[in-house]
Amino acid sequence: MSDLKLEIRKTFNAKKLHRFALDVRFSSPAGVSVIFGPSGSGKTTILQCLAGLTTPDEGSISVAGEVLFDSRRKINLPPQERRVGYVFQDLALFPHMTAADNVAFGIRSNGDQRTRLVRDILERFHIAHLAGNRPAEISGGERQRVALARALVTNPRLLLLDEPFSALDDELKQAIIGDLKQWLAQNSIPVLLVTHDRSEASLLGERMLLMKNGSVVGQ
Amino acid sequence: MNWQAFALTGRLATLTASILTLVGVPVALWITFSRRQWMFLVEAFVAMPLVLPPTVLGFYLLVAFGSNTALGRWFERLTGGTLAFTFSGLVIASVLYSMPFAVQPMVAGFRSVDRKLMDAARTLGAGRWKVYSQIVLPLAWPGLLTGVMLSFAHTVGEFGVVLMVGGNIPGATRTLSIDIYDQVQALDYHSANQTALVLLLFSYTLLCAVYGLNRRTALLDSR
Repeated sequence: MSDLKLEIRKTFNAKKLHRFALDVRFSSPAGVSVIFGPSGSGKTTILQCLAGLTTPDEGSISVAGEVLFDSRRKINLPPQERRVGYVFQDLALFPHMTAADNVAFGIRSNGDQRTRLVRDILERFHIAHLAGNRPAEISGGERQRVALARALVTNPRLLLLDEPFSALDDELKQAIIGDLKQWLAQNSIPVLLVTHDRSEASLLGERMLLMKNGSVVGQ
Repeated sequence: MNWQAFALTGRLATLTASILTLVGVPVALWITFSRRQWMFLVEAFVAMPLVLPPTVLGFYLLVAFGSNTALGRWFERLTGGTLAFTFSGLVIASVLYSMPFAVQPMVAGFRSVDRKLMDAARTLGAGRWKVYSQIVLPLAWPGLLTGVMLSFAHTVGEFGVVLMVGGNIPGATRTLSIDIYDQVQALDYHSANQTALVLLLFSYTLLCAVYGLNRRTALLDSR
């Protein structure tokens, strides 16, 4: 019952000549589904609709039976109430906070439990020794791990990954994906991974959605 | 050196900059993050003292402080006196007159914060208040500090509005800039020279601090 069900339409009229319409409908069970397609096909927009950062014109989104968005019933949960983990393409780590503070940001509990949660997830992603470092002081792969840990520590019911591994070399990519898979083995949630890199798609994905011009053209 | 005018100017500038910190931050947040179409009207209103002759602002304030207006009557009921030609009136005038010097750098500071970081914070469960207090304000602090320092410096240097609204009452409304004017009128060039030099050095030092600070943060950011 952890499935993601999505059916959304959104039209962009930013420039008259470049009318772009997103019209997608799919469902994905727990595990990694890859959204694959050329840039400009609407992949990131889907993730933004799921996270609540963009509002579709119409349609509905539900995760594990709970409705996040439904245009007919006028339901539109704000991002902070959706419990959707989102790892941005450029990671969006808070530059003025240490790795530990970045990870702790989304945790709702306080005191000892908070400290323990942070320590556990940092150890899991092999970055415990970087807890006191700011993002500018650590490497790209390490930043990647911090961003994943920050999204996962909040126990999201859906995880969105927007080309998070594109800047890494293969060896590093595989190591991080290995850690992510281990976490997913214990936490059965749907994961959507956006990429235009075939090797990344095959490395992580169990299902594949092909996007073109705002629609899913193959599964 | 007229120490009474010196102390009065310091008190006026400190009070004005403090009030503008409290008022300027919400106004700047509003201007930066509101999506209302008519927001340019608010921006233009706040920026008006930049182009308006101080006498015009002073004139309207003088009228507003009079007992024919709601503000004037309210203040009279409250204190028994009028706002015109008092220190309180001067503070109100200074807050309005220095508003753009506080708000514009603050807006620039808030605009420099990457919206992605705010989005990331929201997906991590942060409501509006947490996003502002833990992400936007700490990242925009050079702009905030610049706004506070510039509004302080600008208040120290104001002349026209003070003369219109406050007049020239020793200990109540005679600031350093008015004092220089008085000294020149009395052909006391020696004293005028002293006071002017103090203001010159003060302004240059403070602006050096503002620009030095901004350059340093820019360098740190680009590392």
